[in-house]
Amino acid sequence: MREEDTMRLSEQAEDLAKAWTEAQKKMWESWFDLIRASPVSTALSPPAADQWRELALQGLKSWTADSEQVVKDVAERLVTTQDVVMRFLDLSISAWKAMAPQIESGEDWYTCVTKYADHLRQQLLQFPQDATQVAQDTDELQRLYLEEWQKLVQPWAESLRRVPWQVGQAATGDGSAGIKLTNLYWDAYERTFGRLLESPSLGHTRELTQDLLKGFDAWVESRRAILEYQSGLAEAWAQALEQFVRKLVSLAEKGETIQSLAQLLNLWIDVIEGVFTTRFRSEDYLQKQSRLVNTVMAYRLIERDIVEAFLKTSHLPSRSELDEAYRRIYELRREVKELKKSLRDLKAELSDQPKQGGPVVPFNGPTPGDHGQGQTHN
Amino acid sequence: MPFPFHLSPEETLRELTELNRKVATGIDNLSRLREEDLQVGVTPKEEVYREDNVVLYRYTPMVERPFPIPVLIVYALVNRPYMVDLQEDRSLVRNLLRLGIDVYLIDWGYPSRGDCWLTLDDYINGYLNNCVDAVRGRNGLDRINLLGICQGGTFSLCYTALYQEKVKNLITMVAPVDFHVKDGLLNLWVGCGPGSQGMDVDLMVNALGNIPGEFMNFGFLLMKPFELGLRKYLDLIEILDDDKKLLNFLRMEKWIFDSPDQAGEAYRQFMKDFYQGNKLIKGEVKIGGKPVDLREVRVPVLNVYAEQDHLVPPASSVALVRYIGSADYTVKAFPVGHIGMYVSGKVQQDLPPTIANWLKERA
Repeated sequence: MREEDTMRLSEQAEDLAKAWTEAQKKMWESWFDLIRASPVSTALSPPAADQWRELALQGLKSWTADSEQVVKDVAERLVTTQDVVMRFLDLSISAWKAMAPQIESGEDWYTCVTKYADHLRQQLLQFPQDATQVAQDTDELQRLYLEEWQKLVQPWAESLRRVPWQVGQAATGDGSAGIKLTNLYWDAYERTFGRLLESPSLGHTRELTQDLLKGFDAWVESRRAILEYQSGLAEAWAQALEQFVRKLVSLAEKGETIQSLAQLLNLWIDVIEGVFTTRFRSEDYLQKQSRLVNTVMAYRLIERDIVEAFLKTSHLPSRSELDEAYRRIYELRREVKELKKSLRDLKAELSDQPKQGGPVVPFNGPTPGDHGQGQTHN
Repeated sequence: MPFPFHLSPEETLRELTELNRKVATGIDNLSRLREEDLQVGVTPKEEVYREDNVVLYRYTPMVERPFPIPVLIVYALVNRPYMVDLQEDRSLVRNLLRLGIDVYLIDWGYPSRGDCWLTLDDYINGYLNNCVDAVRGRNGLDRINLLGICQGGTFSLCYTALYQEKVKNLITMVAPVDFHVKDGLLNLWVGCGPGSQGMDVDLMVNALGNIPGEFMNFGFLLMKPFELGLRKYLDLIEILDDDKKLLNFLRMEKWIFDSPDQAGEAYRQFMKDFYQGNKLIKGEVKIGGKPVDLREVRVPVLNVYAEQDHLVPPASSVALVRYIGSADYTVKAFPVGHIGMYVSGKVQQDLPPTIANWLKERA
């Protein structure tokens, strides 16, 4: 690469970065001028760049307050799109600014692109990695788990705090050691003071403690699955950026350059959609996605058991009890339909109407609101 | 090599400012719209039968003497059936009525938590069969025509295999038949993809009861996340000042996000038997204990599919010919995607006469 080319490249990248900084400032100013000019006046001053979207959404809510839900949703998605455009440009320009000096120093495009993509990949993966490290720390996990439950069962929070936790020990193994330990504890407890307790809130039970321990294990599993899933997606983002830059370079090598923002965005969407579609079809992704769904559902089931234990102590109906009632209603409804059909067939027989063979008996009903009268199945 | 961007600072700023202006103007336009501007399913119709959440409608004929054998449209449980009558100028129903077809439609309704025990037996041997009987009874006919769309097409196939004597002709439209065609991301995600490591449907239904519509919708949008989550709205910015196009967009948007929950037990069987077990083509599906044998489908069949369908891959639909017993089989492809089948102007010119003529030839 000739020196004048690399110099031009560096200068252009720097110019673009400066222009972008200026453009962002003007963007916010013009956006808030527009918001102020809207039928809903806002007393907002131009915010810092990272706050603008939140404030824009606040204005948007008033603006579309009387509209149908679909209008509110679409308006919000439009602002999100605008936000994505800005973030995408930010990312693109940062990438070029970071790569330009390396290219100036004589490195070839592709090495620079690969290096930058690696750098981005590390950044994107940083959050899942940090979170995974947290996932190794049982005490921290236990604290997070308890925090989650305290939010969920606020009315019973005091009772929950009084549960003598053995979670720390249990979570280091498969949980069974902890369960055994607490069972021993509870056996002794119940034989002594436990039986005498008349708690107005939640009495501690072995089952509840077991559920909480199982819940902890399931919760940890689901957190891990979420982090693995996020890592998979972060990897796809990094790949997409790498391919996007490569695509730009290959176009430039053919003498085709990007002339407009819209062109740049469309190219980005083409590339990233392709990368994600490929990713979504990979065995690794399929497993991570399935594991994510399965672990979250497993946790949700245990969570329900625990919530139901709390509900039971407060004499409130539980999800399981309601579902059981629904099941009985459903079965009865089917039975009623069958009986109605039998009755109708019988009446038809008695009135000497042809029942089988020949033309179908014209069916004049049911009329609207006639919930399945005379119409049922076996 | 030149610098890959030729974006001048002035031009970039101009584009961004223009983007802002369009978004703000568009939101202002949006905020002025009222519910009556976004009406869907406006073709006149009357309710002729109701059972639980399910309603059977008959559309008011648009010709003096409609074709004597009516068509019953069986839509999917996923999303709402007004897609076939989205608006006056994008309506499969209206176009069929204009061609003299007598059209009925089943609206499955919105299952509540109390409906989580409904099974495919209830839907197919129950509601669908009762709706067919209601249409037969009203018209004094032994047999009527069925038009099954998407999952409703699969239901219609099962129904025809079980109740051949009540079906005159069967039309399947973008209907999945072979669920292990790997072209489809949906098939991979929930069916033939990760095998035993795959999605545990029992666990999901046990945990959730009904499967939330939002969950289903999220899955559909995730299949094309940037097309459907970004490009679509970038394109919208360009049409925000065009009232007609904006309303078209909003009606479609309304439909996309109007996703009923799925009754848990019906979902369980559909996912396990059809998607994961691919039992329909193996002859192993049982509906209410009755085995479904596609070879029993011996009535004339018109199979319509979309060449660019990303939800139901063409190969999944066209597989039908290998499994049914019908000697009168017609297949017709349209160069659009799944949704384009209902709303593409070109398809709406060609599809309704294709259906109407095919039916009239088999009166």
